[in-house]
Amino acid sequence: MIEAVDLTKRFGQNLAVDSVSLSIPKGQIFGLLGPNAAGKTTLIRMLCGILKADGGHLSIDDKTGLLAKSHYGYVAQYFGQYEELTVWENLKFYAQMYNVTDTAHLEQLLSRYQLDTFKHRPAGKLSGGYQRRLALVCAVAHDPEVLFLDEPTAGIDPVTRKILWDEFYRLSGEGKTLFVTTHYMEEAQRCHQLAFISSGKIVARGTPSSIISALGDVDVYATHLSYQPELREELSQLEGMVLLNQFGDELRLVVRASLSQQELASRISNITGQASDLDKTTANLEDVFIALTQSRAD
Amino acid sequence: MLMAIIKKELLQLWRDPRLLALMIVMPLVLLILFGVALKLEPDNVRMAYYDQDRSIFALNIRTHLWSEGYFDLYEVDSKQQITEEIRSGRAKAGLWIPETFTAELIENEQPHVTIFVDGTMPSLTTAMKYNSDSTTDSEVTHDMYFQEPDETPVVIAEDPFILDVEVLFNPGEKETWFFLPGVIGVLIMQVALILTGISVVREREKRTLEQLLVTPVSKISFVMGKVLPYVVIALLDFYFILAAGWLLFDLPQPSSHFLLFLLALVFVAVMIALGLLISLLAKTQQQAMFIAIFIIVPSILLSGFIFPLEAIPGSVRPLSYCIPFTYFVEVIRGLLIKHTLWQDLMIDYLALMGFAVLFVGLSIIKFKRTL
Repeated sequence: MIEAVDLTKRFGQNLAVDSVSLSIPKGQIFGLLGPNAAGKTTLIRMLCGILKADGGHLSIDDKTGLLAKSHYGYVAQYFGQYEELTVWENLKFYAQMYNVTDTAHLEQLLSRYQLDTFKHRPAGKLSGGYQRRLALVCAVAHDPEVLFLDEPTAGIDPVTRKILWDEFYRLSGEGKTLFVTTHYMEEAQRCHQLAFISSGKIVARGTPSSIISALGDVDVYATHLSYQPELREELSQLEGMVLLNQFGDELRLVVRASLSQQELASRISNITGQASDLDKTTANLEDVFIALTQSRAD
Repeated sequence: MLMAIIKKELLQLWRDPRLLALMIVMPLVLLILFGVALKLEPDNVRMAYYDQDRSIFALNIRTHLWSEGYFDLYEVDSKQQITEEIRSGRAKAGLWIPETFTAELIENEQPHVTIFVDGTMPSLTTAMKYNSDSTTDSEVTHDMYFQEPDETPVVIAEDPFILDVEVLFNPGEKETWFFLPGVIGVLIMQVALILTGISVVREREKRTLEQLLVTPVSKISFVMGKVLPYVVIALLDFYFILAAGWLLFDLPQPSSHFLLFLLALVFVAVMIALGLLISLLAKTQQQAMFIAIFIIVPSILLSGFIFPLEAIPGSVRPLSYCIPFTYFVEVIRGLLIKHTLWQDLMIDYLALMGFAVLFVGLSIIKFKRTL
């Protein structure tokens, strides 16, 4: 359980995190979504107690400060285990930081995270995916109630990513609270709750399906068209255009309800010189992500 | 390509203002400091005298030694005490004028006057011998000739008295005896400062610090955990170097092995704790290295290791006493060469322990549980 009220952090003139309040119940996977430099890492570091907040209040499992430390684990964005130490030595070290010395329990964790075959390999010699597993196993060695994961699957192949997410679900099923930062949409989709942070402020929050409503009253269309700069140029000028998003041969358009399907279709055929089949569809998280990011940047 | 790399290196340097400051300001500060502080010619060298004669002639000798400005004389009450004053380090030289001085002078029996000099620092020994030579100059002695009225005057008279110079502790004035004990300290200082100097900053750069800080690790566990293993390693290193000194250079045995061990332990602890403090202050490993070097260089030059402390001007001397190495040099020379008494070294031990406590304390204060 994580309770944060009005957390604020300033770096010089820059307000990195601006009065963020969060209340995350036990057993949830909470996703913090946002573009680079939005304040995700700053926020997660404050929640983990390694960055001092300039203001606000924080409790984890109803504990604050030092007392809370043994109630959570943290996996940093960058690999932070000791490269010279083996997998086993790293795990034992982190466990001892929490006074956990039960080797049978640690052995069990190693096999659960499929690290037993690399037990005596120096951590620096592991592949990126196994390094991430090691970081995770070190963070859960003391069986914390809350787990903070800063971009846990960045740069990880899809198979390992799936394995890690299966693990996150398992932990959540065991009643652990997970706080995950990400900018992968498919990952965000897997979270129970999401918050979207931009320029240090939470601009939208809710379940993945409800957060889409943050876009407001919009229509979403998709059409098959190859990338054409002049088309993009023309369409982005239109009154009521919220977002243009090209995916390979697919062009997605998010528009205000004031912009009709017929008008859009005629605009497109004017430029391409051919009739276009404009399909009405629903917004997805990526549309929301890009739209929210752009609107904050404007 | 070459130009691009050169430009990139310069830009990187330029963007690290602390390192730039260390590169430019520190050498300047040290240059000025050494320019002022480093002189080979000492003055006000403390000289303990025991004047049993107390005649006008004896006074003449004392006044002469004092008026040159080289020696700073003070009285003790036995000949034995002169040796003890030099052993303890309170004096570097001594003067003994025996009871029979005037009586023998009158009888033209060429009495002996003894000047004792501390031999642990050969450069100072040589300078002291040279400076005491003038005691037999005619301006001192011209009133000391006694003649029977009917005697034929001598054209070139012998000196009315004989000046004996006795070198105490290290009578062979072996340079290795003088330098080697200090060299051991320099080596340990380098090992310790560099070993621990990078220990925290390396964790910061490798991002392992971030993971460590999340854990409930206590400040004391962190600081002592960083200090203790290196203390043991540096201690072993100390004895390894010392053993090599004994084997290869015939370094004398200490007056007390326990005191030597205590010195090694305390000095190593001071240096490791100082290294840790550097590591907590520096933001990069490069910066830590620079700070370490800027501590080592003045330590070597201002501690009395090479240049006698007596040669360092009074304005800079307090700085010498802010350098832990100064106390190490004093104690190790005392233990190996002069066999100084425990009571006379106590203050140096206390100073070193004070530094250890100070640096560990500052490290604990400086260690923040946040990034």
